[in-house]
Amino acid sequence: MLTEQSAYSNRWRRVSPIAKGFFSLCGTIAAFAAGSPRTALLIALILAAATICGAGIPPLRYLRVAAPALLFLAASCLSLVFSLDFAGTAGAPAIHPATAEFPRIAQVCSRSLACLTALLFLSLTTPLPDIITLLRRCKLPDTLLDLMVLCYRTLFVLSEAVHETITAQSARLGYASFRLSLRSLGSLLANLTVQVWQRSQSLHLAALARNNDGALRFLESSHANASKSISIAAGAGALMIALAVTLP
Amino acid sequence: MSDAILKLEDVCYLYADGTRALDGCSLAIRRGARTAVLGANGAGKTTMFLHLNGILRPTAGRVLCEGTPLDYSRNGMRRLRSRVGMVFQNPDSQLFSASVREDVSFGPMNMGLPEAAVRQRVEEALCAVGMTDSAEKPVHNLSYGQKKRVCIAGVLAMQPEIVVLDEPMAGLDAAMQEELTTILEKLHSGGMTIVVATHDLDFAYGWADESVVMEAGRLLAHGPPAEILRRGEVQSTLGAAPLVEEITRSLSLIGIDLRGKGYLPRSRKELLKAISEYAGQEGRA
Repeated sequence: MLTEQSAYSNRWRRVSPIAKGFFSLCGTIAAFAAGSPRTALLIALILAAATICGAGIPPLRYLRVAAPALLFLAASCLSLVFSLDFAGTAGAPAIHPATAEFPRIAQVCSRSLACLTALLFLSLTTPLPDIITLLRRCKLPDTLLDLMVLCYRTLFVLSEAVHETITAQSARLGYASFRLSLRSLGSLLANLTVQVWQRSQSLHLAALARNNDGALRFLESSHANASKSISIAAGAGALMIALAVTLP
Repeated sequence: MSDAILKLEDVCYLYADGTRALDGCSLAIRRGARTAVLGANGAGKTTMFLHLNGILRPTAGRVLCEGTPLDYSRNGMRRLRSRVGMVFQNPDSQLFSASVREDVSFGPMNMGLPEAAVRQRVEEALCAVGMTDSAEKPVHNLSYGQKKRVCIAGVLAMQPEIVVLDEPMAGLDAAMQEELTTILEKLHSGGMTIVVATHDLDFAYGWADESVVMEAGRLLAHGPPAEILRRGEVQSTLGAAPLVEEITRSLSLIGIDLRGKGYLPRSRKELLKAISEYAGQEGRA
C-alpha cells in the first residue's frame, strides 16, 4: 500500500484534485506532443521531479512504486527491439535487432515512460476518494464510480480478513507442507467467497438503514484555494506542453 | 403506554430458511428512555432491531411509530429511517467510503439535504463523537473503537429521534466502553431515545432506564433493570446476575444491608459510594 501511504502523506495532499488531475493530463498531452525521445524523457523527468521534489515523495518509495510498471515497460521495449527468428539455420533460434525501427521504438518507449510518470504523479499525490470526486466531476457514469468506491473499501476489509484467516490457519499448521498449503489456500478462497457474499448483504442493509435508494452519494471534500491551485497547475501544464511542442 | 415512540404488537418473523426469529413479540419503547435489550445469541435482538428501522417487515403482527402503523412505501421508509437511526454491530459492514467525513455524509446526502446543511451536520456529528481530528483520515487506518464512533456519527448526522445500537460495546476495551457510555449519555441528555442491544449485564443494570429480556424470539421480561435483572428466571436465562447486585446481596449476608439503609447501587461507582457512606454511618454509631 505504498501508493496509498504516499497519497495521504504528501505535501500536496490538500491541493485540489482538479489541479493535480489537470497537471497530470497536461503531462500526458506533453508526452504525446513530444517530437523526440529526448523531449519525452525531459517531460518524464519534469513530472518525476514534481512528484519527488514538489509533493515530497521519497525517491526510493517512488522507484518502488514505479518498479512493476517499469519492468513491464522494459519487457515491452525489449520485445520491440529484438525479435526471435526460428527459421534460421540448423533450427537454432536467432535474435535479430530491429535496427531500422530504433528511432520509432525509442519514441514509443520514451512517450510511454512520460505517460507513466504523469499517472504516477496523480496516484502518488491524490487519495483515491479525491480521484473518484474528480471523475464524478468529469461526469463518469455513477454505477462505475459506485463500484470503485465499494471495491476500494472492500479491498481493505478483505485484505484484513485474508490476513486474519492466514494467521489462524498458520497457527494450526495450515501451511506446514505443500499439500497442506494447497488445502488451506482452497479453504481460504471458499471462506472468502462466503464472506464477500455476507458482507455485500450487510452493506446493503446498512445502506438501506441510512436511507439509500440506489446511487451512493457522499459529500465532496472541499479544498482551500482551489482556483489558485488550478491556475498554477494550468500554467505549469501549458508550459510543459509548450516545451514538448517547441523542443526538437 | 401513551408515550411509546415505537411499538411492536405481536410481531412474528420467519426467515427464509424457516427459522422463527421473532415469535409474538410485543414491546413499547418509551420516548426519551434508555432501553437495554438483553438476551443470548440468537434470541432475536438484531431481528427486532431491523424491524424498528423498517428493514424487515413482520411476517405477522405490526410495528407502530407514534401510534401509527409503519408505512412500508419508499416515502414512508425514507421518513422512518430519518427518524430511527441504526448502528450495526460490525463497523466494517456499515462503513462505505474510504474517508471518514465522506462516510458520515452518506445518510444526510441520501436525505436530499443541501450541501451546506450536510457539511454542518457532518461537523456536528463528528464533534459529538470526538472524531473531528480524524475527519480526513482513511477509514481503514482507524482503530476498531474509532470505526464504531464513525458509525455512530454517520447515524447522528441524520439527526434521528431514536438511535438503535446493536451491541455497541462488543470488541471495545474498558476505556473505549467508558467513552462510548459518555457519548450515549450526552445523546440521552439531549433528549434522544436510545435502544441498545447488549450482553453486558453490568452496563444494562447501571445505564438503562428500562431493560428488555428476550429468549428464543419472545419477550421474557420488560421493566426497570433494578427490578427485572434481579429476578431469578431472568438471571437463569441470561446465565448471570449484575455484579453490583450480587455484591450487594452477598454483603447483606454478612450483615451489611445496604438496601435496608436505602441504598440501591446500580453501578460500581454507586456501590463503592454506598459502602463508604455505610461504613461512615456504622463508625459514628
